[in-house]
Amino acid sequence: MKENDVIVVGGGLSGIFAAITAARRGRQVLLVTKGVGAIAIGGGTIDMLGYDSAGIPVRSPWEAMTKLEPTHPYTLIGRQAIDQAAQSFLTLCAEEGYPYSGNLQENQWIPTALGRMKPSCLVPLTMNTTTLKAAEEVAVVEVHRLKDYSGRVIADGLNQCPGYRKKYSVVTLKTGIEDGRDLTALDVARWLDTEKGRLSCCEQLARSVRPGGVILLPPVLGTRPDYEAFNRIEQATQCRVIETVGLPPAVTGFRLRKLLVKCMTKLNVRMIEQSNVVRATIENGRCNEIVTGNPDRERSYRARSFILASGGLFGGGLQASPGQVVESIFNLPVHVPAETDQWSHENLFFTSGQPFAKFGVRVDGSLRPVDDSGNVLLENVFIAGKTLAGYDYCFEKSGNGVALATAYRAGLGA
Amino acid sequence: MKKSAVVIIGGGATGVGILRDLSMRGVEAILIEQRDLAFGASSRFHGLLHSGGRYAVKDPAAARECAEENTILRRIGRHCVEETEGYFVRLPEDDPDYEPKWVAACEAAGIPVAKIALDEAHRLEPHLTPRAEAVYRVPDAAVDGFRLCRQNVLSAKKYGGRVLTYTEVTGIDHKNSQLEGVRIHNTITGEVDTIQCSVVINASGSWVGKVAELAGISINVNPDKGTLIAFNHRFTDRIVNRLRPPANGDIVVPHGSVTLLGTTSSPATKPDDFLPTTKEVLELLQAGKALFEELPQFRLLRAYAGTRPLYCADPTADGREISRNFVILDHSREGLKGFVSIVGGKLTTYRLMAEKISDLVCRQLSVHTSCRTAEEALVEDPSPELMNKARQFFPSFGVELAASRLGPDFATAVELIQKNPGKKELVCECELVTLAEAETVAADATTFSMSDIRRRTRMGMGTCQGTYCGLRGVEMMVGNELAKGTSTVELLREFLETRWNGIRPIIWGHQMREVELTRGIYEAGLNIDGAMPDERE
Repeated sequence: MKENDVIVVGGGLSGIFAAITAARRGRQVLLVTKGVGAIAIGGGTIDMLGYDSAGIPVRSPWEAMTKLEPTHPYTLIGRQAIDQAAQSFLTLCAEEGYPYSGNLQENQWIPTALGRMKPSCLVPLTMNTTTLKAAEEVAVVEVHRLKDYSGRVIADGLNQCPGYRKKYSVVTLKTGIEDGRDLTALDVARWLDTEKGRLSCCEQLARSVRPGGVILLPPVLGTRPDYEAFNRIEQATQCRVIETVGLPPAVTGFRLRKLLVKCMTKLNVRMIEQSNVVRATIENGRCNEIVTGNPDRERSYRARSFILASGGLFGGGLQASPGQVVESIFNLPVHVPAETDQWSHENLFFTSGQPFAKFGVRVDGSLRPVDDSGNVLLENVFIAGKTLAGYDYCFEKSGNGVALATAYRAGLGA
Repeated sequence: MKKSAVVIIGGGATGVGILRDLSMRGVEAILIEQRDLAFGASSRFHGLLHSGGRYAVKDPAAARECAEENTILRRIGRHCVEETEGYFVRLPEDDPDYEPKWVAACEAAGIPVAKIALDEAHRLEPHLTPRAEAVYRVPDAAVDGFRLCRQNVLSAKKYGGRVLTYTEVTGIDHKNSQLEGVRIHNTITGEVDTIQCSVVINASGSWVGKVAELAGISINVNPDKGTLIAFNHRFTDRIVNRLRPPANGDIVVPHGSVTLLGTTSSPATKPDDFLPTTKEVLELLQAGKALFEELPQFRLLRAYAGTRPLYCADPTADGREISRNFVILDHSREGLKGFVSIVGGKLTTYRLMAEKISDLVCRQLSVHTSCRTAEEALVEDPSPELMNKARQFFPSFGVELAASRLGPDFATAVELIQKNPGKKELVCECELVTLAEAETVAADATTFSMSDIRRRTRMGMGTCQGTYCGLRGVEMMVGNELAKGTSTVELLREFLETRWNGIRPIIWGHQMREVELTRGIYEAGLNIDGAMPDERE
């Protein structure tokens, strides 16, 4: 059996970024993953911290981080690690030819398919919205037969957002894909990967928009982490092009994942996909091996340290049953109210967040799991991403931000 | 000011049944409903069209009524009733002496029961517990309460019946012991109006006491809360009842693509005490496990609750001891002529209840036509020409479904697809609702919200509980100028929050993941609820 320095469980953003961070420190890393994580749902924007606990929009994540609860993952790892994580991420993206824009000092507001603006922090250049507010005319582009995306809803919605009242027009793009099944953003992105698709798109848009304006597109500018389709359309139309946030499948997330997986492969990280880790072997407060339980047989993998990035209640790292939530691999304690009725708020939205969203494993400053008194439970296990307790990423808009920062910190420790 | 001979208060099965009955007899009638049709117990129940078996031993009269009405409804309500048939199953822990008593009582009540060999019972229903000791077949059926109410109204409208939904009754006016009219308030537009009438029928279910109070009359109704669970798949093709005296969690009913398990019984705090608790859900799962052993492992979809309007002359009686039978109260006894209330009863006998009270009202109005509601179908079958045309344009799987859901409006949906084939795309993939159907319903003058569309099409009632059809549905409404002044966020919020009410008591397992997906999309991704800088800074 091959001995690894580090095994990462989970192939979402936090798992992959933790693997990259550890590998860059010279570690031999193995990543075991069941799926692709929530990045296909949430997309490739790095939301750091959009709202404080009272729901007030955050201008500077860097400043607002100091006011978070002591149990918040950001507070636990400290701002220095978060800053290093962001720099590391931005450098990596730039090196791979798909630079991101933004910094921790200020949020960027990006448009969504609901016609709302949302605070994010580090975003691809296709989502840089600095030109949107000043623009006089905005063309909202929808795609014929593309589900879950309506130019009208976006135009109406944005027109009601303070600071974004302006002239919106809706343009419908035709892909010519008529094979009878539903069209998703991924289909359109694949179409824009092709020369034919790009030509057709440029031609159609150049005909219907005036140079000098802004074009809002669904997130469809190619499946590859590059800006070829984006640059082509900007040149052809002489307009600024902005991708909006849409419903899954999140093409911007696939793009980022492709980039990170490519980087991981260069660093000789081995990846085992479609593999379900079912348990771990623990001795004297240390984990020796993890065991995968696939339909054929069980296999065990040994390492000196482990990074757990198996996700939360959505990803499957945490599993809820009436009155109890368990962390399914190491069986780490997850504290929840015994009465399930107290797990949630009576309103789904428009509250101070949901209590259950903060369920997770408690950790110390180096992200190792701790018990009630703060004693470290496993010396060589580090936790990253949504398995962690203490943050409601939906409410505070910190999804990929916490994932990235804690992955970086875990990668440093492992 | 409006005028009508009769005003009916309450848009549940009883109210719409009365509207249809009176309209068919040529009596001018208008129905007032505070929310949408079937907002109360007519949709918040198990959807079981009783064969009468459940009541055979304890209440033979009610059992006989059920048996007769069941037969009638299967005939006139072809597009809202699914003839599933039902099982009565005796388990080892159930009293074996009850079985012969039950069989004899069913025979006496005219309920056809047939014992079925256990291996045959299991062949037809493989998930049924192997512990079953005796299984009988009865003509139980599944009924869609939303559609039943809607189709009664469609039928009534043909005869001149009128309906005002989202309209509250704010006052009942009378002079010299004679009823004169009602005052109403439209909860959407805020308009107020009066309707001059000589008879008011109070058919408001659990609200019957509150409505009577408006006329200064007291009715002792104890709303009783019943919680049910919907499972994500159809694990039984037949209704399954326990062969024992009625108790909690002993009815399992398949409905379209889902299965329902009911019911609990506890005193309600108010007529719209609709929020189930996790404790009630766990009790139901425990009880239901006796009939289907794998049931606790099946994916839950949601839990919901309704209130039964149980009438009792004795204010101290409660729960299952009160008769499920209905009572008609003619308030002329209390000195108010022209005001009648109908309380109690069950959905299976709604038509009979409507017939009885219509008989009474017709006598008061000196109208001599007799009831014809048992003779005519609620909605006509779509013509073969329409069905053939529909098959050319409609997705093949959806033709029969859509025809039954939409009734006379089906032709409109077919035309929409004929004109624009893009509208055959599914807005709701879980329940197979096309854009054309949703648009047809949204265009109706009585549709104001996404939930109104849901009740008529089942959009949002399936696995994703509105996560995907939510945005699509709103896009359809906004894109076709059908939002009627409500904003995108408000439309979505109303839809997703009502779905959340049913998921909240069962947030574990798959539904916890489902909620995190919903929040991930709408809250984290699309920012449905976050303030903009200039809004809150």
